[in-house]
Amino acid sequence: MDENVAASGSNDDDGIREQDQLLPIANVGRIMKQMLPQNAKISKEAKETMQECVSEFISFVTSEASDKCRKERRKTVNGDDVCSALAALGFDDYAAPLRRYFNRYRDLGVDNKAANQDKANNDSNSNEDREEQSSLKFSMIGISKNSSMRPID
Amino acid sequence: MRQAGTYSGILSGKMGPHLLPLARIKKIMKKSGDEVKMISGESPIVFSKACELFIKELTQRSWMVTMQGKTRTISKEDVASAVMATDLFDFLVNLVSGEATTPLEMETKI
Repeated sequence: MDENVAASGSNDDDGIREQDQLLPIANVGRIMKQMLPQNAKISKEAKETMQECVSEFISFVTSEASDKCRKERRKTVNGDDVCSALAALGFDDYAAPLRRYFNRYRDLGVDNKAANQDKANNDSNSNEDREEQSSLKFSMIGISKNSSMRPID
Repeated sequence: MRQAGTYSGILSGKMGPHLLPLARIKKIMKKSGDEVKMISGESPIVFSKACELFIKELTQRSWMVTMQGKTRTISKEDVASAVMATDLFDFLVNLVSGEATTPLEMETKI
């Protein structure tokens, strides 16, 4: 975390991103790879750029969400606020699937049977890359008290 | 009434692996502005999915730029080009145009 000698305590964030304000490069890289063919490579700088873009994305959307909360005199930014902010900023394509994803969480928290059946159906799919499977299917599995990512064998 | 079990399960990772660390997401959210006072338990989770979608979209667009050339390695310039070419990513324009001078390298020399 302290590798970046330049990281100062100043409030000026332009161009200077402390590691705390970035999502881990390994995680970011992994998600990027999911979109690419096997022969594709990603330069370290490209991953670093992506890290910064994601952080900027989070700040951008959070500001919008918190603005809305302030106008409505609410103190807490919740999941719906994030979805609304995404839609307001042009990320409509994200907002709809996210709402479904988020609502499934709330529903599945009550009904575990549905979650387990869903999981059983999905586990019979391809088992190429477990990591990819767990990440892609995470949205489908949702909440389940018994959920533990067991190897699909 | 929120079901404490459900949400604490999410946050403690019993739900299964998240692709992105929720605590870090929360930190970044808090730093986005002074007016961000409180953040519900589920918003980092919604963001983790949103960030995943964002990364995938930007990666796909960057790759399309890469494919126009001869290499099969995505460079930061490819990412910058993808940003420039996409209206939705206007908010990133300043960030990626500043990338060209690699400010971190400059700082280290001082």
